[in-house]
Amino acid sequence: MSQLQARFFTKDKRFVVDDVPFSIPAASEVGDLSNVINQLLLAKNASHSKVDFDFLVRGQFLRSSLSFHMETEGISTVRPDWMILTGSYDKTARIWSVEGKAVMTVAGHTDVVKDVAWVKRDGLTSLLLTASLDQTVLMWEWNSERNKLKARHCCRGHTGSVDTVATDPTRSKFCSGSWDKMLKIWSAVPTDEADESDTSAVSSVLWCDSEEVCSASWDHTIRVWDIETGGTKTTLMGSKVFNCISYSPLCRRLASGSADRHIRLWDPRTKDGSLVLLSLTSHTGWVTAVKWAPSHEHQLVSGSLDNLVKLWDTRSCKAPLYDLAAHEDKVFCVDWTESGLMLSGGADNKLYTYKYCQTDAGA
Amino acid sequence: MKKVREKTAKKRSKEEEEEEEEQIFNFKDKPAGKEEEDEDLSDSEESVFSGLEDSGSDSEEDEKESDDNDDEDDDDVTAVESKQPKQTEEEEEKEEVVGGVTEREEEEKKEDEYEHDSSDEEDIRNTVGNIPMEWYKDFPHIGYNLDGKKIFKPIRNKDELDDFLDKMENPDYWRTVHDKQTGSDIVLSDEQVELVNRLQKGQFGDVNFNEYQPSVEFFSSDVMIHPVTNRPADKRSFIPSLIEKEKVSKLVHAIKMGWIKPRRVEDDTRGRFYDLWAGEDSSILGRHKMHLPAPKIPLPGHQESYNPPPEYLFTEEELALWEQQDASDRKLPFVPVKFSSLRQVPAFSRFIHERFERCLDLYLCPRQRKMRVNVNPEDLIPKLPKPKDLQPFPTTQSLVYRGHSGLVRSISVSPSGQWLASGSDDGSVRFWEVCSSRCMKTVQVGGAVKRPVCLSTCRPHSYVASSCECGRAVHQVAWHAKGDYLASVMPDHSSHLQVLIHQLSRRRSQNPFRKNKGLVQCVSFHPVRPYFFVATQRSVRIYNLVKQEMTKKLQANSKWISSMAVHPGGDHVICGSYDCRLSWFDLDLSTKPYKMLRHHKKAVRGAAYHRSYPLFASASDDGSVIVCHGTVYNDLMQNPLIVPVKVLRGHVITHDLGVLDVTFHPTQPWVFSSGADATIRLFT
Repeated sequence: MSQLQARFFTKDKRFVVDDVPFSIPAASEVGDLSNVINQLLLAKNASHSKVDFDFLVRGQFLRSSLSFHMETEGISTVRPDWMILTGSYDKTARIWSVEGKAVMTVAGHTDVVKDVAWVKRDGLTSLLLTASLDQTVLMWEWNSERNKLKARHCCRGHTGSVDTVATDPTRSKFCSGSWDKMLKIWSAVPTDEADESDTSAVSSVLWCDSEEVCSASWDHTIRVWDIETGGTKTTLMGSKVFNCISYSPLCRRLASGSADRHIRLWDPRTKDGSLVLLSLTSHTGWVTAVKWAPSHEHQLVSGSLDNLVKLWDTRSCKAPLYDLAAHEDKVFCVDWTESGLMLSGGADNKLYTYKYCQTDAGA
Repeated sequence: MKKVREKTAKKRSKEEEEEEEEQIFNFKDKPAGKEEEDEDLSDSEESVFSGLEDSGSDSEEDEKESDDNDDEDDDDVTAVESKQPKQTEEEEEKEEVVGGVTEREEEEKKEDEYEHDSSDEEDIRNTVGNIPMEWYKDFPHIGYNLDGKKIFKPIRNKDELDDFLDKMENPDYWRTVHDKQTGSDIVLSDEQVELVNRLQKGQFGDVNFNEYQPSVEFFSSDVMIHPVTNRPADKRSFIPSLIEKEKVSKLVHAIKMGWIKPRRVEDDTRGRFYDLWAGEDSSILGRHKMHLPAPKIPLPGHQESYNPPPEYLFTEEELALWEQQDASDRKLPFVPVKFSSLRQVPAFSRFIHERFERCLDLYLCPRQRKMRVNVNPEDLIPKLPKPKDLQPFPTTQSLVYRGHSGLVRSISVSPSGQWLASGSDDGSVRFWEVCSSRCMKTVQVGGAVKRPVCLSTCRPHSYVASSCECGRAVHQVAWHAKGDYLASVMPDHSSHLQVLIHQLSRRRSQNPFRKNKGLVQCVSFHPVRPYFFVATQRSVRIYNLVKQEMTKKLQANSKWISSMAVHPGGDHVICGSYDCRLSWFDLDLSTKPYKMLRHHKKAVRGAAYHRSYPLFASASDDGSVIVCHGTVYNDLMQNPLIVPVKVLRGHVITHDLGVLDVTFHPTQPWVFSSGADATIRLFT
C-alpha cells in the first residue's frame, strides 16, 4: 500500500480545495499533508501564505503517518465509488457505479463476453480485462476521470472460447482459461504467455497466491498449478463437472460449485486430493457461481440455475443464511464488492446488488 | 387257577364215588349220607375258596395229591373191582361188623373227615400188603384180617374147566369179578355195573350230578367293590433288600479285588466272520444303497367319502360316460355314492382288487430316484448390478433449451461439448450454448417450408450439415468419423437413389447402391472401420465400403426400424423400432438381436450411444428417455451387460408425439433430448 487516495474537506471558505481524490503516499504525515494543501492553495491563489493544518480522519486527529493511523483505527481503503464491471452476452462489457448507473460500455468484441476482471483500479486510470467467445482477451484502459476507454492489448492465442480470466495479486499477470483446454498466463505489461494444458474445458481460474493458479475444469478436477514450472501441484478429483471455484485467503479454503447442485469446500493444501471438507446443499440446479466474502472468513455467496442466490455461513452448513430470490432467470455470476455488497447477474439481463447487514439483506 | 378247579373237581368226583360206595353199602343211613353230601358240597366249595386263599402255601401238597389222584384214576376200576367182592362178602358174613364199621366211620367222619378221605386209606380186609398172592398159593389161607385171624381160601378151588363151565352156564359170569386178595368171586349188582360203565365212559359216577351247572365267575369285567385280596403290601416290598445289597457289595468287592474277571472277548482273528461283499464293485454297492420308499397312497378325497358333497356325485350323463369308458380311462375307479349314515355303508367290494393293484404297483413299477431341483424363482432372475453402482448416468433435468416454435426433430452436440445444434419443424436450425442454454444463433433453412431438419456435427471440424426439403425430403444425414464424408437418406419406395454419400473435400456425391432393397430408414458409418450401416424397415445391412459388398444382414425382430446407433467400439448396434422395442445387436454374436428391451410404452424414436461412458439411451413417444448401462467387454466370451438405470421424464406429449431425438454429451454423462413440445432438455 504505497499510495492512498484522499479527499480534503473544510468548512473554512479560505482553504477550500477541489473535491477530487488525490493520490498521497501512505507514509505521509501531518506535515506532508499540510504541504500538499499549501501547495494546492498556492497554485490556486498566489497570495496564499503557508498555514499549518490539522487533519481529522473520520473525526479523529491524525497524529502519526496515514498508514499507521489507518491500521490503528481500522480504516480500510475502500472507496465508495468502486465501479462494477460486467460482461454480457450482447458482446459488450459495462462499467457500473454502485448506485446502478451505467458509466461506460466496453464494446469491441465480436462475440459474447464471457468473463471480465479488473487488473488495476488504483488511481484515475484502471486496467480491465474482458474474455470473449471470439477466442481473445482484451485489455482496456479506462480513465475514470475523463471516462475514456482505450483498448490496450488484444491477447490472441486461444483456439476456443475464453471462458474465464483472473488477475494475480501483484496485478502484473493474468491467467485465462479456455474451451481449448488451455490455461494461459499473460503478463499484464509486456505481452508474454505461458501455456498449461488441461484435459477438458477450463471453466474457472483464479490466483490463490502470486505463485499459484487454481483452475476448475469440466474433467471433474480442480488443479493447482505452479506458474514457475508450469506443472500441476495438486489435483483435487471430484465426480461432477466444476462450474466455478473461489478461494478465500482468510480461511484458505476453496469453494467449488458443480453441476450436481452442491457447493463443496476443499483444502487445496492437501496433497492427496479428493478431500471434501464440507458440502453445502440447498440449490436445486447447477451452481454456476460461488464467491467467498473478501472480508468475512466464513461467508460465501453462490448463484445457481434455480434463479436463487444464496448466502452461506460455513459454520452452519445445513442451510444457507439467506435465499436471495430476486432473479427471474438463471443466475450466472455472483461477486462481492470490497465494501461488502453482494452482486449477482443472471439471464434475466439484470444485475442485482445486495447489502448484507448483521440483521438483514436488502437489494 | 384252572388247575385248582380241576383238582377240586377231581376231588369232588372221588368223594362222590366213595359216597356212592357208601350209598351202595348202607342204604339205611341215607339221611346221614345226604347230610354228608351237603357237607361235602359245602366242603368242596370251601376247599375251592381255601385253595384260592392260600394257594401259595400248600401248592406242593396239592400237587402231590393230584398226582396220587391221577394214579388212582388210572386204576380206579381195578380198585373198585378189588374192593367190591370183599365188601359183598362182608355183607354176607358179618353184617353187624360192616354196619358197625360204617357207623364208626361215620362217627370218624364227623370227627375228622379227611381221615376217611385220604387216598392212602383203603378198606383193607387182608393185611398182607401189596405182595404177589402166589406166595399164598400153598397155604389154606390167603392172608390175615384186621384182627389177625387167617382169611381162608374158598373151599373149592375152581379149575379151568369149572371156570369154562361157569362161563358157559352162569348168566352172572360177566358181572362176577375175582378178588385176588380174598380169593373170592363177587357178583356185581346192577347199580355197580352201571357205575362201572359210567366210569369207563369217563362220566361222573353220580347220575344226578350235573357237571355243567352254572359256575360263578370270579374274574369278570365288572369292577368289584372289594379287592380280591385285601392283604396290605408287605413292608419288604418298600425297602431295599439288605440281602441283595450284601450280595451286590460282595460282587463289587470281588470285581475290585480281581477275583471276578470279565468274560473274555473271543478274538476274531481266526476269521470266523468275513465281509462277503468286501471285493464287490463299489458302483454296484452304491446302486443298492439307494433306498426308494414306496410311493404313498394318495389320501382319500371327497369322492371317497360316504357322504360326499353333492357336486361330487355323478350326474346321469357322467354316470353314463363313466360306464361307457374303459376301466383304464376312467378318472375315478369307482362311483361316488352317498349314504345317510356310516352305518349303512356296505363292505368295500373292491378291497381285494385295490390291494392287488397296490401290490402290483409296489413290485412291478420300476422306480428311479428323481432328482428334484428346488429352484428359488428369485434365483432365476439374472443378477443385475444396482443402478447405484453404475454411476455416473444422467438422473435429473438440469436445463431446458427453449426457443423453437415447432417440434424439434433432431439434435446434435459439437465434439467439444460446448455447442448444441437443433433442427426443428419451424424451419430453423438453432445453436445453443450447452452450459447456459442460450440460443447463440438461429439459421432459417427451410424458409416457410416446414420440413424435418436433420443434422449432424462432424468430429474434427465444426461443420453442421442440415437437410431440408429440396425436391424431396432428406430424412437423415450422417457424418463419417473423419469428417470428410457425409451420407444422406431420402426415403423413397421406388428409387434406388435413397442413399447418397457426399465427399466434402471434392464436393461430389455418389450413389453407392444400384438396387433398391427397401425403404431406408437411417444410415450410419462405422466409427473405425470402412463399414456402412443401412437400416431398412425390417433389417440392418452392413456393407464393406472397401470391398463394396454386403458383409452382414441383421434381422431386427420388429416391424419398422425407426433409429439406429452404432457403438463407438463398432461391434454393437442398437435399433429402435416403432413397435416399442429397442434391440441390441452384438455383431460378433449373431444376426439376431442379443437383447430386446421393451421398456417403452410407445414407439421408440431415437437411440444413442455415449462416446466414452458405457451408456445408451432411447427416446420414445411416451415422453420418456430411458438410459441404460451397457458395458461391452473386450473378452469375446463375455456378453454385454445391459442394465436399465434411469427413466427420464420431462417432455410434454404434444400431438401424440413425445421425445423425438436423443443424444449424449461427448464428454460428460449427460443426455440431451428433443421433444415435440419444442424444447430440448439436458439431463445430468
